[in-house]
Amino acid sequence: MGGKTDVWQGTLALMVLKTLQLMGPQHGYGLARRIEQTSGDLLELNYGTLYPALLKLEQEGYIRSRWGVSDNNRKAKFYELTKAGEKQVRKAAAEWEQTTEILSRFLAPNAEA
Amino acid sequence: MDPLRAKLRSIWVRVFGVLRGRRAEDEFQDELANHVAMHTEDGVRAGLSLEEARRQALIRLGGVEQTRQAYRERRMLPWIEELLQDVRFGARMMTRNRGFSVVAIVTLAIGIGATATAFTWIDAVLLQPLSGVAEPNRLVTLETVTANGDWVPNSYLDFVDFRDRLKLFDGIAVAHVSSFSVGKEDHAERVWGELVSGNFFSVLGVKTELGRTFLPSESGDVPGAYPVAVISDRYWRSHYGADSSIIGKTIRINQHELTIVGVSAAEFHGSIPVTSFDVWVPYMEQTVLNGVQEWMLRDRHDRNMLGIARLKPGVTFEQARLELKTLADRMAIANADVSEGMSATLMPLWKSPHGPQGLLVGPLRILMGVCVLVLLIVCANVANLLLARASVREKEFSARLALGAGRGRIARQVLTESLLLTGCGAVLGFAVTPWMSRALGLLMPPGPMSSLVSMDTRPNVAVLGFTVGICVFAALIAGLVPALQVGRMNLSTRLNAGGRSGTAGRTRNRLRSTLVAAEVALALVALVGAGLFARGFQQTLRIEPGFDPDHVLLNQFYLSTNGYNLAQRKEFCRRLEERMLAAPGVTDVAYSDGVPLGFEPSWWEELKIEGYAPRPNENMNIFRNVVSSGYLPLMHIPLVEGRNFTVQDNENAPAVMIVNEAFVRRFFAGRNPIGAKIHGWGDWFRVVGVAKDSKYHYLGESTPAYFYVPFRQVFREDMNLAFYVRTRGDSDSVLSTLRAQARAIDPSVTVFDAAPLKEFIGASLYPQKVAASLMTVLGSIALLLAAMGLYSVMAYSVAQRTQEIGVRMALGAQPAQVLRMVVRQGLALTGAGLVVGGALAIALGRAVASVSFTNSGMGANAKLLGSGANDPLIYVGAAAFLCVVAALASYLPARRAASVDPMQALRTE
Repeated sequence: MGGKTDVWQGTLALMVLKTLQLMGPQHGYGLARRIEQTSGDLLELNYGTLYPALLKLEQEGYIRSRWGVSDNNRKAKFYELTKAGEKQVRKAAAEWEQTTEILSRFLAPNAEA
Repeated sequence: MDPLRAKLRSIWVRVFGVLRGRRAEDEFQDELANHVAMHTEDGVRAGLSLEEARRQALIRLGGVEQTRQAYRERRMLPWIEELLQDVRFGARMMTRNRGFSVVAIVTLAIGIGATATAFTWIDAVLLQPLSGVAEPNRLVTLETVTANGDWVPNSYLDFVDFRDRLKLFDGIAVAHVSSFSVGKEDHAERVWGELVSGNFFSVLGVKTELGRTFLPSESGDVPGAYPVAVISDRYWRSHYGADSSIIGKTIRINQHELTIVGVSAAEFHGSIPVTSFDVWVPYMEQTVLNGVQEWMLRDRHDRNMLGIARLKPGVTFEQARLELKTLADRMAIANADVSEGMSATLMPLWKSPHGPQGLLVGPLRILMGVCVLVLLIVCANVANLLLARASVREKEFSARLALGAGRGRIARQVLTESLLLTGCGAVLGFAVTPWMSRALGLLMPPGPMSSLVSMDTRPNVAVLGFTVGICVFAALIAGLVPALQVGRMNLSTRLNAGGRSGTAGRTRNRLRSTLVAAEVALALVALVGAGLFARGFQQTLRIEPGFDPDHVLLNQFYLSTNGYNLAQRKEFCRRLEERMLAAPGVTDVAYSDGVPLGFEPSWWEELKIEGYAPRPNENMNIFRNVVSSGYLPLMHIPLVEGRNFTVQDNENAPAVMIVNEAFVRRFFAGRNPIGAKIHGWGDWFRVVGVAKDSKYHYLGESTPAYFYVPFRQVFREDMNLAFYVRTRGDSDSVLSTLRAQARAIDPSVTVFDAAPLKEFIGASLYPQKVAASLMTVLGSIALLLAAMGLYSVMAYSVAQRTQEIGVRMALGAQPAQVLRMVVRQGLALTGAGLVVGGALAIALGRAVASVSFTNSGMGANAKLLGSGANDPLIYVGAAAFLCVVAALASYLPARRAASVDPMQALRTE
């Protein structure tokens, strides 16, 4: 699909949490679009996988949902971060940064031996 | 929130996701619809046509149905959902095949109910013998062992030695069952209680409802120094209306005032399993309450205390037993005059040979075995039914397999259905358990002990666990076989066979035949068992007790509890005898210490016999009775030699003794016993007569050596007093006379436990009666179940062959020939079952025949089964009976099949 990447396993949850942290409450569709925009349209999200992922986060207590009204006056389900979610974002982000940092050392062209 | 907790939380939510069901699904549908709508709007805004925008939106979503499925799987645990489907489907199948379900469920309910009932009892008697005590697993029974290995209670002095010298025990306590008369003279009431060592409650770890138990300062060994009592919660509620100001008040026991210091916790009933006591008094009060002489408390011969000990934490049973044995062996040497060759041992509480549970253990074990038998039959029945069902459903299963269902999924469906069936059966069975327990209660021992016996027959958690265990076990067995069959099904042959089900599947037929044969075998075992026990019981009933219990009224007086001293007691008896002899209709009057064939223990005395050298370790404790001169004539026990006691054999005359024939055979082989000198109670007795042998403890016993001594010479404070009156006609009529005469002598005397002797001695038949009744009931259940199983399977297999029978008849077979064929095949199966069952029954019969129902010293040879264990008539009868049932079970459906119009039969497909 023309240079676009699929979402790596396990990273979707972090993207969802981070997006919710930055943007506040979002409905599923908005969230999906937001993630794609943030990625600079490099990511191609399979929207169908987003909902089970949201449900999983909700079951784990990181986000909660409620029905509300969208910008264009449509009834929609909004997701927002919980306290536990805030903590999880910080923790997961830190872990991820560490991982990428380690990886980048391996991949850097002039890595020392 | 750490990841683990998040994970657990999500599992929790998913488990309960099942409950939200429809609503959550609908909600998600709305959410998805919204998603698509918003996406479409965006597409339209970007310049796409409405159609195209919608198409794109759906593509990006990856399909509405797929998304919903993924969502559903995430929402709850998939296997729960499938389970729910299976259960729903199973329930539908059950309601559709109502006859099948009812038969299976009722069968299971009977099997599980019976087993749960048996387990309730076993639990109460064997597993949790004592309630209301702390850490019962560290409590053990402490028994003295006689030179020839019999278990007997302990003496107080032995107890003191044990208590003070053993190191591996947290404490050792003793108790002595006693009946008290509580209240003022004129309206005294008999209450059962225990005379206990002062440390009794602390050793057992009993809590109080109110007040305290005995203090260390009340636990000494000073006779008559501790006028205190603890009463039971039950007594406190029934007699004091649960009045909390009772502590510190007095209770009048045996005409002495004792201070109530505490009320024991409601769960505590005393130290003897299956028995409820109401009062506990320090043993040292014996001297005051029962007028027992102080020297008797210091007599090592006086072995009447049941010992109970608490092991120190971490000490093994074996270590403790060894320490006790070492000490007891040393004591036996130090006190060789009274304890030579004796020892002591520990045993689990339930093994204690004293009290009702000693008699219950044997029957309960057999009961348990029989229940397993019944349960096996139930499983075979249900498996058979499920197998038969499975072949009906072969087409359905084939279709499901063809549509892509996994074999595992179908096997699980079958298993779920059988679990559902067993679950219903278990619930129903469990619901009837309380009633069944109550019905069992009818078999409890009769006579004076019956008010004492109490058993918690409410099913408890352990029973619940046990039933559920059985249920799962039954489901697995009954469900596994058909499930395996389904799993092994060959799809193409199934579908190709075009639904001509039943005739195919030879392995399945073989399996079903095996099950039918097994069922017949089990039924035979149950039936033979029932026959043997009933026969044994009958034989015992026909045994002559050697005395004549008809027209004799037995009364027990508890004179000691009325503050009488020894002389007063003897005088009371003499005067009452005089008065009763003068009453109209009375032919004989007598009194004694022990009652033959009674429920209460019998006592013995250690004898030295002049001219007889005991073998090393020979038990010279010989059972005895202390009787008035009228006893032998009243009982119609003839004297074979010598003379009876007379009124002249009193305190001032030389001590005399009458022995039985077994005594003569054992100790006077070839010698003349008359005039021989025998030593007991610290005195020399002269044998004046030989009485004919009779039964003393159990009708089934082999006659032990036994002797009689005169009441006036030997009667002591701690002995009982039974009073017999023989009448010409109905013995009941004389009771009012006896009451009146006793009152006339002493208005304060109350007569307890008046009953015809014939009824009273029924107690000796108790273990056999229980075994025989239980076996008869369960044998009938087993037979009923086996007949049901046999019939249903036969009927089913004949129905399967309707078409074949039609062909045979169309080709000229006569109905009679068809009938013969079907019945012959049924009988062949039965025959195979009978051969196996017969072998099994003979083996089991031999094993059970050697089981003695009591291990106390007084009835070591009494067997549950009489000599009838090898009665061929029972085996043949049971086998013939089963043959008839089998013949009938195959004949009825066969006749129906043979009467079918061949054309009709051929058309059934």
